[in-house]
Amino acid sequence: MALLEGRGVAKRYGGLEALRGVEFAIEERQLVALIGPNGSGKTTLFQIVSGLVRPTAGEVRFRGVRITGRAPQAIARLGIGRTFQIARPFPDLTVLDNVLVGVTFGRAGRLGPAERRREALGGLELVGLGTKAGALASQLSLGELKRLELALALAARPGLLLLDELTSGLPPRGREEVIAFYARLRERGLTLFAIEHAFRPLLVHADRVLVLDRGELIADGPPAEVMASPRVAEAYLGEEDD
Amino acid sequence: MSRLGVGGLLLAVAFPVLTGFHPYYLYLLGTGYLLASLASAWGLLAYAGQISFGHAAFFGLGAYTTALLALKLGVTPWLGILLAGGAGALGALPIGAAAHRLRGAYLALASLAYAEVLRVLALNWTGLTGGGAGLIGLPALRVGVELELARERAGGYYLSLAVLLVALAVFAGLRRTRVGLAWAAIREREERAQILGVSPTSYKLLAFACSGALTGLVGALYAHSVRFIEPDLVFGRYFSILPLIMATFGGLHTLLGPPAGALVLYLVSEFVFHPLLPRLHQLPYALALIGVVFALPRGLAGLIGRR
Repeated sequence: MALLEGRGVAKRYGGLEALRGVEFAIEERQLVALIGPNGSGKTTLFQIVSGLVRPTAGEVRFRGVRITGRAPQAIARLGIGRTFQIARPFPDLTVLDNVLVGVTFGRAGRLGPAERRREALGGLELVGLGTKAGALASQLSLGELKRLELALALAARPGLLLLDELTSGLPPRGREEVIAFYARLRERGLTLFAIEHAFRPLLVHADRVLVLDRGELIADGPPAEVMASPRVAEAYLGEEDD
Repeated sequence: MSRLGVGGLLLAVAFPVLTGFHPYYLYLLGTGYLLASLASAWGLLAYAGQISFGHAAFFGLGAYTTALLALKLGVTPWLGILLAGGAGALGALPIGAAAHRLRGAYLALASLAYAEVLRVLALNWTGLTGGGAGLIGLPALRVGVELELARERAGGYYLSLAVLLVALAVFAGLRRTRVGLAWAAIREREERAQILGVSPTSYKLLAFACSGALTGLVGALYAHSVRFIEPDLVFGRYFSILPLIMATFGGLHTLLGPPAGALVLYLVSEFVFHPLLPRLHQLPYALALIGVVFALPRGLAGLIGRR
């Protein structure tokens, strides 16, 4: 059984078809890339999976259970974590309290206060923000905000991570570090579904790649195979890989 | 607790003795503590990111609950006050439920309308509430211990002080628990809180219930203190706008800002403006609001750290 499955997922905003009958299946412990030109529906798909947007048609299943129609918090508690393209921490809380929200209301919530705190601090160490625990989230630099995004998504001990352009705005070296970190998370047993606009570094590590174009899934397979497809090349014609 | 806090507490406890049990000063400061509790109740809700323009609804429900229980059923005011807290909590639930769908200004306007509905209901349900004539002859609270301290209005003074301190202690405790963390997360970014597993609806309801309970309790204490209530007074805009201004002036999202703001504004209004400019004695509230908007976004708390 696939960990995450989409069946005929469609989303219409007025006259705009953001997604059209998208079918996909993601296996456990894989790093899967989701790519496509601007406006192809990548983030819409993440919004639907995480419950923030309801699809017009179709459904999403997680571990075989239909999650479409459930509240975002219920989906989160099943073990789906996500990051946002534009970092969205709790600005007026400390970095530690930010992560504590995820630890407390996620799947580590049964721990006592001291253990939750230890887990949150451990999460901050993992992403290299250990020294910033007491700072307000609004005081972080862009690079630090991206790390906090990742720490927040990991705090609830998810089985599946949705990563929405976490590396955008970072220098090339920073991007590669983050992508290498994805690969390490996969080795620890996580499943990762990652959107990247500048996708080359991601494809080095990805097990599979899905390509969306104007709301349609136009390719799904191993990176080398997909990137050789003329249909994909056509979709990206005129797009620059920055 | 800081030295300032301990000093302030000792001063508050010793105040009746220091003023020679002066009834006017005790009444004034006792009322100040009630308003400080009211501002704290409003601030608790704001801590969870919910802005109310209609706290008079919960205040009035508390006042009418204890008044009707005492006058119609002969219930002792002490029980009446506790039940008034319950009435305030229950009365806050409909607005809490509305917060599931309404945000920001829309929720604030809904709460304003809610208080208006209750005011008009109390005005017209003459058989129960006495209508616009109000209810008179509420029994006074008796702190029946024959202590030297309890003479004159010292009993009411200490009761108001105790309510404020207990409310602040409970609020301080809540802020350290998962409830406080959820409230802060919802306030900062509700959608993100949801993505991390927080259920906004239940925590908002809890915030409304807590705030409504304290507000209802204060309304009941107020009713037994002035011993007369009418719809335009206890359901009126005064008790909706006052806590908003006091809490904002003291410092939103802080523990001690709202009560400090309440005490400063009320005492300045009563001690400075009332004697000098009696017709303009509410001016400090307007000035405080303007000051906060233009110069002090974090209120008094912004001037002296963030607690």
